Amino acid sequence: MKRSGATSPEGAPRSRGPALAAPRLLGAAFVAGLVLLWQAASLAGVLKPFYFPPPSRLALAFWELAWEGFPEGVRIGTHILITLARIGQGYLLAVGVAIPLGILIGRSSVLDRLSLPIITFARSVATLSLLPLVIVWFGVGELSKVLLIAYGCFWVMLTNVIAGVKYIDPLLIRAAQTLDTSPAGIFVRVVLPAALPRMFAGARVALGVGFMVIVGAEMIGTIQGLGALIMEARTYYRTDISVVGMVAIGLFGFGISVGLERLERVLLPWHRGLESVRR
Amino acid sequence: MTKASRWKDSSLGVVGVLGLLAVWEALTRSGAVNPVIFPPPTAAVAGALAKVPPRDLWEHVSTSLLRILWGFGVGAGLGILVGIASGWYRTLGALTQPVIDLIRPIPPLAWIPMAIIWFGLGEPSKVFVIFLGAFFPVVTNAYKGMTGVDPILLRAAQTMGLSGPRLLLQVAIPAAMPDIATGLRVGWGLSFGVLVAAELIAADAGMGFMIMHARQSGEIGVIIFGIILIGVTNLLTDYGIGEVIRRKVGRWHAT
Amino acid sequence: MAKIEIRGVTKRYESEDAAQGLAVENVSLTIEDNEFVTLVGRSGCGKTTLLNIIAGLVEPTGGEVLVNGRRVTGPGGGKGMVFQQHALFPWLTAIQNVEFGCKSRGMPPAERRGSAAQLIELVGLRGSEEKYPGELSGGMQQRVAIARALALDPEILLMDEPFGALDELTRIEMQGELLRVWSTRKKTVVFVTHSITEALMLSDRIVVLSARPGRIRQECAIDLPRPRERANPRVIALYEEIWRNLS
Repeated sequence: MKRSGATSPEGAPRSRGPALAAPRLLGAAFVAGLVLLWQAASLAGVLKPFYFPPPSRLALAFWELAWEGFPEGVRIGTHILITLARIGQGYLLAVGVAIPLGILIGRSSVLDRLSLPIITFARSVATLSLLPLVIVWFGVGELSKVLLIAYGCFWVMLTNVIAGVKYIDPLLIRAAQTLDTSPAGIFVRVVLPAALPRMFAGARVALGVGFMVIVGAEMIGTIQGLGALIMEARTYYRTDISVVGMVAIGLFGFGISVGLERLERVLLPWHRGLESVRR
Repeated sequence: MTKASRWKDSSLGVVGVLGLLAVWEALTRSGAVNPVIFPPPTAAVAGALAKVPPRDLWEHVSTSLLRILWGFGVGAGLGILVGIASGWYRTLGALTQPVIDLIRPIPPLAWIPMAIIWFGLGEPSKVFVIFLGAFFPVVTNAYKGMTGVDPILLRAAQTMGLSGPRLLLQVAIPAAMPDIATGLRVGWGLSFGVLVAAELIAADAGMGFMIMHARQSGEIGVIIFGIILIGVTNLLTDYGIGEVIRRKVGRWHAT
Repeated sequence: MAKIEIRGVTKRYESEDAAQGLAVENVSLTIEDNEFVTLVGRSGCGKTTLLNIIAGLVEPTGGEVLVNGRRVTGPGGGKGMVFQQHALFPWLTAIQNVEFGCKSRGMPPAERRGSAAQLIELVGLRGSEEKYPGELSGGMQQRVAIARALALDPEILLMDEPFGALDELTRIEMQGELLRVWSTRKKTVVFVTHSITEALMLSDRIVVLSARPGRIRQECAIDLPRPRERANPRVIALYEEIWRNLS
């Protein structure tokens, strides 16, 4: 996949600007510049710190969260762990069921056709719209949040697993057949490995969904967790804490996504080669 | 794919709903599932319509749709502009992409409290959050589409005398359309999810609000009705967008 | 007994237009042990279909194929195949690809490693064992594909335009390589191509197939010793003859 850097396709027309020596450097400098501008504007009184907490304020707020905790002494570490735990449980539950089920459905055209309407509809249900229902059935505790995350992650993962198993190059299967491989052998040694890239893609998207859902789920009925933190801070007019919470979620979401990408590169070393050749 | 089979596939979602509803109805009627916790669809719908008169219902739905149209409109519009410009002009891209990449991981919903601080409790705060939901997928895909344009196409056009803005408009953008279209579709879906969540958390009208309000009065029927209503609306609008995309892009690009 | 006997094979695919649906019509052919036979024809003349039928990957609508006197009912079982798009498993290294069939047969690891290594050496890829297909050039990929097919020591080698995706120079090189490998490990080869020159360079016998539906138009034996020269007048004469037949 083309890295979304600022590099244009090879031999791009000169009309689009001078060649950049180090686009990354430029980008980083720009970001740093913006942050400095932000800080300066706040000091100069142009940006009110309440509405746009400057980096200095954010650093202090982070410190406060790390040592004293907010609200009621809950430290940032606890918030982070609780949020991650909720996502983790929901995610693992979803993926754990989606993989075997998806493989089953993907291999059977009957099941595939039967499940398609159900899956299509279930996916169109906005996960968070289930929040009130889940609360009525299961209360405002942890279970509700985990189930909600599981719901969101499940359908995305399922669709991708099914697609991965369904759309395998038939040529590969033919090749395996000419090599005296039994149907079971073909399934384990050809179908599954060939489906892995797609399953990983699904895993990454599902994780993104998990992060999206948890923020909404935590904004109601709890004071622990990053989503709760962001929401609670507002009632105390602590915008600086809200923003720290936002940044924290963004960082973790990004970090875990990168982590998954690294994992994929380790587990599927051949896939990158394929992609770079295809370009 | 023939028109008939496309229609078939898209209406499958609705079929799924009906099928599920039928099973559900049977289960609750026969008493296998406790009808208090899990009211049968017919009772749910009837109850819902009784508790929420059609006029109110229409107000909720239209409020939601208006919000999402505004949010998506601005978000997708800006996203396309920024994405195309960033993809075409390298310097601009070098500046915008890192900033976008840094902000994108923050879920739109996390912006709600700040949005309320900035814009108050009214419409703009919701529209803003929906705007965020639409903006990022659109800008990312537009950028990817633009940077991924096959240089061969550009060179061919240049040999025919095209350059500058004409090259951009007549060759690059059309070539990037499939990715842009994907971005729009994903952005819409995301906007929808954000809309619902935003209405659950901080609103006094709209479909999300309707369900949340029903929870407080314990009216499960209304909740379920609302959930299905939202789902069906999502399906129909997604189908609509899909159709438009297919007509514009689908002929030459098999998605 | 002939190695391969193709008796009145017909293949029809479901299609609205009856003529369109007929890929191969009433083809009968005998191929002897260790013979190198090439099927030549335009694209779409059914030669690939015929090869797939011999391989047992596709069932004929009419007629049958006998190998060693017994009817072909499925793929594998001594019928190795090389495809145009190499069909190598992208998640396995070169040597793992070559070993694949041996693993399917239940050969113990040490043995199959050794056998695979020998074959990699034979096709001239020593040093590239641990590379993934995505890291190899087109020519190298096809060498791996050939090695993989040979790993099970098949009696018959079926090759479906294996060099079609390669550039001219690599193609000529690969033709030479194939002949070299074939001379070391004699097999019955059925080769499919649309290049008359390639057929002339490689085969003992050329079978020309007409366009849709595929029928045998001409057979000609080539008794020239290998390696053959493109400029050889006999070769040129045969080229003209086949060319006329195909047009």
